[in-house]
Amino acid sequence: MYSVILTEFGIVVFKEEKLEKVFPFKDAVKDYISVKKKEAKLNDLVNYLGPLQRGISVSDESLMTLLKKNSIDAQMMEESELETIQSTKPQIIVDSGFAKNVPDALSKLREFAMGLSSSKVTEVSESPDLHIIQAINSLDEIDKIANGLSSRLREWYGLHFPELDNIIDSINGYSQIVLAGKRESLTKKVYEEAGFPDSKADMIALLASKSRGGDISDINLAIVQSIAKQILDFHDLRKKLEAHVELEMETVAPNLSAILGAAVGARILGKAGSLKKLASMPASTIQIIGAEKALFRSLKTGAQPPKHGLLFQHAMVHAAPRWQRGKIARAIAAKAVIAARVDVYGEGINKTLLEKLNVRVNEISKKYENPTEKDTRKPELFRSDSGESRRREGGESRRREGGESRRREGGDFRRREGSDSRREGGDFRRREGGESRRREGGESRRREGSDSRREGGESRRREGSDSRRENKNYRERTNSKSNKNKKRSKFERR
Amino acid sequence: MKEDNFEFFWINSDGEKKLATENLVIGNQVYNEKLITKKGTEYRLWDPFRSKLAAAIMNGLEIFPFKNKSTVLYLGVSTGTTVSHISDIVGPSGIIFGVEHASRVARDFLDRVASHRANIIPILQDARKPKEYFSVFGKVDVVYVDIAQPDQTNIAIENCKMYLKKDGYFFLVIKTRSIDVTKSPKRIVEEEIKRMEVYFEILQVIDLHPYDKDHAMVIAKFLK
Repeated sequence: MYSVILTEFGIVVFKEEKLEKVFPFKDAVKDYISVKKKEAKLNDLVNYLGPLQRGISVSDESLMTLLKKNSIDAQMMEESELETIQSTKPQIIVDSGFAKNVPDALSKLREFAMGLSSSKVTEVSESPDLHIIQAINSLDEIDKIANGLSSRLREWYGLHFPELDNIIDSINGYSQIVLAGKRESLTKKVYEEAGFPDSKADMIALLASKSRGGDISDINLAIVQSIAKQILDFHDLRKKLEAHVELEMETVAPNLSAILGAAVGARILGKAGSLKKLASMPASTIQIIGAEKALFRSLKTGAQPPKHGLLFQHAMVHAAPRWQRGKIARAIAAKAVIAARVDVYGEGINKTLLEKLNVRVNEISKKYENPTEKDTRKPELFRSDSGESRRREGGESRRREGGESRRREGGDFRRREGSDSRREGGDFRRREGGESRRREGGESRRREGSDSRREGGESRRREGSDSRRENKNYRERTNSKSNKNKKRSKFERR
Repeated sequence: MKEDNFEFFWINSDGEKKLATENLVIGNQVYNEKLITKKGTEYRLWDPFRSKLAAAIMNGLEIFPFKNKSTVLYLGVSTGTTVSHISDIVGPSGIIFGVEHASRVARDFLDRVASHRANIIPILQDARKPKEYFSVFGKVDVVYVDIAQPDQTNIAIENCKMYLKKDGYFFLVIKTRSIDVTKSPKRIVEEEIKRMEVYFEILQVIDLHPYDKDHAMVIAKFLK
């Protein structure tokens, strides 16, 4: 009877309870992992065990598989034997000559555990999907920062040239004008470089000549200009990040990015944690990722479950009419999870996935071209304790229905994660939005943007500039609240 | 709980008696906790808002099996806040096997705790596969489980079967929200306890309010 025992420092062979032969590892951590992964080449051991051929029992399953691959008939030890090995492990290590005595064995075991754990951490940290997640999160954070800074810039420079705010929507153009300096120093060249058409340039020039704004001191202007510079830098960085995420998604998860698009795919990847985790998720989870708040409310109160979370950002979903969005989101999620699995476990790009998805989406848009009665009627109230909480949330039960409301509900959660700045009405994001949405919602949203900006500015100003830094958190809160309320009423009016 | 029973201490700080342990590694802070030196001994304050074991002590824990020289299997060490205090308590001849699966928090754990404390053996493994643990040997005195999984009780029981001594102690943190959000916390705790009763004698159940919402700690004795 031969017992082959895998220890942390080498493989040990016992014959009838007596030490027979030791095969020490060269690099304990590396070799141990390669045995566990069933990749090790155990030539010495195989050569030794080969002629014996019978009565070989093994303490580890991966080791057994390895031996069987080398056509050695090995069997697993019995539970009781394994237990004995486990409880006398330090002694076995001493007996095999890996350590001088038991305390030495303990400290060696700890060293080994540290090494193995560290190498696992290193291995995980190297996976490219984690870098994509960091990149997409940076991108969303930059959106948030740049949007906040943009409204600040418009506020501050607005003291000097208030009329400019309403004519220039793009924060880039605005920043470029700010960089040129005071009203008086704005020339035709500045407008040209900022890429404005002549008509607009003339208008700005006209407004500049009879502006209602006050004078701005050089020191103040210098600071305002460095803010403008920052915004332009952020814009460049954002562009870089966007291209980077797209490229990385193409290489790491080509199928996923074909179905979802690079940005949405990366955001969903970020929520899942890693590509592997995403691949092992059910499609229904992917469908509502990002709508956790609404989902848990639905589980708790029995309210309608959310139709889509982050997937709302997908062009197909938000371009579709309200009553089709849930169905489309479901179809996309189902294909997305298959795509993720192909990316993890398969190879290359599977084109049929996208084709089939397109077929299905077309089918949905034909079959459900018109809203059914169920889609248009007001849902029943789902809360009996309506009073306080419902009023707080706007008191309109139809909010549960549409995409806009979803955006609003998911908002709190997503804002904390820093992944959605769309609602802030930011210039950065506006450009990203799908064609149709821009057409439908752009106009009103732009108006909203400036409204709430003004409102936000008001409350911020009241707080005084000295305490601004200390009150940062508070300010953000009040700010976003006022924005939110403002927008809600807009949506409802529309 | 008696005062100063040499496992943990009540130290005066900011006019209040606060929980603390004797620091095993002098001058070493783990989570920016306060270090207080009294009569030549350095103590680390133990924040019940950060550590559920401390919260359990604050809420009237009756049995404290973590002693000098104890061996402990700890599932779900996370960044190692609680483990560092247990490491203080079991001292240089005690052993803690710290199991954690998530590599992000394990990174912090290795950096801040495991590399400074010789009595901790870090094991980066899934607690669902207790057979795969490396560097673990013998049976332990206490199993402490804080893993926030829907099937955490079963995972814990499997681990106890393999590594817990007969009559050893078992600490299970139940985060009811991780098991099922739709059920009431009270019911979940009852159900989990029912599952445990096959193998354990339940000694105490502690609600961790106000330190942690919807969390409970179950202390039990292993019968098999």
